[in-house]
Amino acid sequence: MREQEKVNILMVDDQPGKLLTYEAILNELDENLIKARSGKEALDHLLRTDIAVVLMDVSMPELDGFQLADMIRQHPRFQKIAIIFISAVHLTDLDRLNAYQRGAVDYISVPVVPELLRAKVRVFADLHRKTQQLETLNRDLRSLSARLLAMQDEERRRIARDLHDSIGPLIAALSMNNGMLAQQTKKLGPEVADVLQQNNQLVEQLSKDIRTISHLLHPPLLDEIGLLPAIKMFAEGFAERSSVKVDVELSPEIGRLPPNVEISVFRIVQECLTNVYRHSGSKTASIKIAPSQEKLLTVQVRDEGKGMPRTNGVPASAASNHGVGLSGMRERLRELGGTLEIKSSENGTTVIAAVPVAKPMVKNV
Amino acid sequence: MRTRFLIVDDSELVRKSLRTVLQANPDWEICGEAADGEAALKLFSELHPNVVILDFQMPGINGIETARRMSAVAPAVPIVLFTQHASPDLERHAREAGIRSVVSKTNAFPMVGMIEALLGPAGSEPAAEGSADCGKGQTG
Repeated sequence: MREQEKVNILMVDDQPGKLLTYEAILNELDENLIKARSGKEALDHLLRTDIAVVLMDVSMPELDGFQLADMIRQHPRFQKIAIIFISAVHLTDLDRLNAYQRGAVDYISVPVVPELLRAKVRVFADLHRKTQQLETLNRDLRSLSARLLAMQDEERRRIARDLHDSIGPLIAALSMNNGMLAQQTKKLGPEVADVLQQNNQLVEQLSKDIRTISHLLHPPLLDEIGLLPAIKMFAEGFAERSSVKVDVELSPEIGRLPPNVEISVFRIVQECLTNVYRHSGSKTASIKIAPSQEKLLTVQVRDEGKGMPRTNGVPASAASNHGVGLSGMRERLRELGGTLEIKSSENGTTVIAAVPVAKPMVKNV
Repeated sequence: MRTRFLIVDDSELVRKSLRTVLQANPDWEICGEAADGEAALKLFSELHPNVVILDFQMPGINGIETARRMSAVAPAVPIVLFTQHASPDLERHAREAGIRSVVSKTNAFPMVGMIEALLGPAGSEPAAEGSADCGKGQTG
C-alpha cells in the first residue's frame, strides 16, 4: 500500500469502448477509476463521491459534455474539480474557448496520445491530493488556534482568580489593620506614625499593582456584571496608565451577551488599545460598540496615529512582525462567525469588528 | 441595644480582620458570618442583622445579586459592599441592587466612619426590624 491516498477519477463517455481505452491508459496511475456512460450517471457519481478529475467526451446524447460542465460549475462543492474534455469533433478554436470558459483545464483531441493523457491526469490528481492535504492542515490549524485562544482565556481567568483569592485578602487585611493602627496615632510617637503612614501608602501601591495585573489578565466585572462595565473600567485604567485619552461610546441596549462573545469582544478591544499604545503614537483613541443590525454588533476602535506599516501599498496587517494580535483577533471573530476590517492611513487606524449575536438587540425600556 | 453585623466574605482572613475592626466598637457585635451568597441569605433571614458587610466576588452568586435578594426582603437594612474592585460602574450596579455604600478593600480605612454615618446619629436606634437575640451563627 502506498502512503498517499487514492483520488477518484471520473471518466464519462457514451461509448463503452472508449471508456475501456481510457481505463487502460490511466490504470498505471493507481488511482480509483470510475466509469459513467452518460451525463446523468456522471452527476450521480459527482454527488456521491469526491471527484478529483473528470475526463469527458464532448458529444454525448441527451446531456452533452458542455452542458454537464455547466452543471458541475454551478455547484459550489464542485468548483475545484479539474475537467478535461476529449473530442473527435468540435475542434475549432471557438470550441476550445467554449470549453475553457466552462472551466475546463484542458481540451484534448482524438486520437489521444496515451502518455500525454496519463501525464495530464496525473498532474491534476496530485494537485487535488495536495489541495486536500492543505485543507485538512488548515482546518487542524484553525481548530488548534481556537483551542489555544480558549485555553489562554481560561488560564488568564484562573491566574486572575488566584491573585484575587490569595493576595487580595492579604492586602485587605493589611489595609484594615493599618486602619486600626491609624486610629491610635495619638498613642504612637511621630516617627512610628510616619512609618505607619508609609506602610499605608505601600499597601495601597501594592494593591494597585496587583489589581492592574489581575484586571489585565481577566477583567473581574466581565463575568459578574457584563461586557460594557468591564470595557469602561478597562478603558479608564488604560487611559491612566498610557496617557492616551480614550473616548468610550457604548450602546446600553447591548446588555449581556454569551460568555464567549463577551470575552472575545473584550479581548479585541484590549488588543486594539494595546496596539494604539505600542505602535500608533496616537494620543487619543475611541471605542464604539453598537448594534449595526438587529443581530449584528459592531465594535470599532479608532486612533489618530501614524497608521500601520505598509508592504507594497498593502497594510501589513497579517505580517508576522505585528505579533499575533491581529491574527488572534481574526481567529476569535472567525470562531464567532464575524469579520474584521482594518482601515489604515497616515491619519490613523480604524479597526472594525462585526460580531453576530443570536438575540436581537432591542432598546432598553 | 448593640448593632449586629452579618459579615460575608469567602476569605477567612478578611472576615477575621473585619471582626477586629468592627468589634473595636463596644456597641457593635458580629452576629453571623458566611463565606458565600447562599449561606449569607440563609443567615440574613434567620438572624435579622442590622448591617451587612458583603464581599463582591464569591463562589456562587456574587455580592450584588446577594444584596438584591436581601433588600427585596428587608430594604431598610444597610448593606455595605466590601470589594477589591471598587469602580464607578460597580457602584452604580451596587446602588441599583440596594447597596448603600461601596468600600474598597485596598483602602478600608473609611469603613468605620461610613458605617457610623449609615447608622445615623449616635444613640439613635438602628434602622432594622428584628430584635431576636442573635447567637454566633456560622456557616461556610
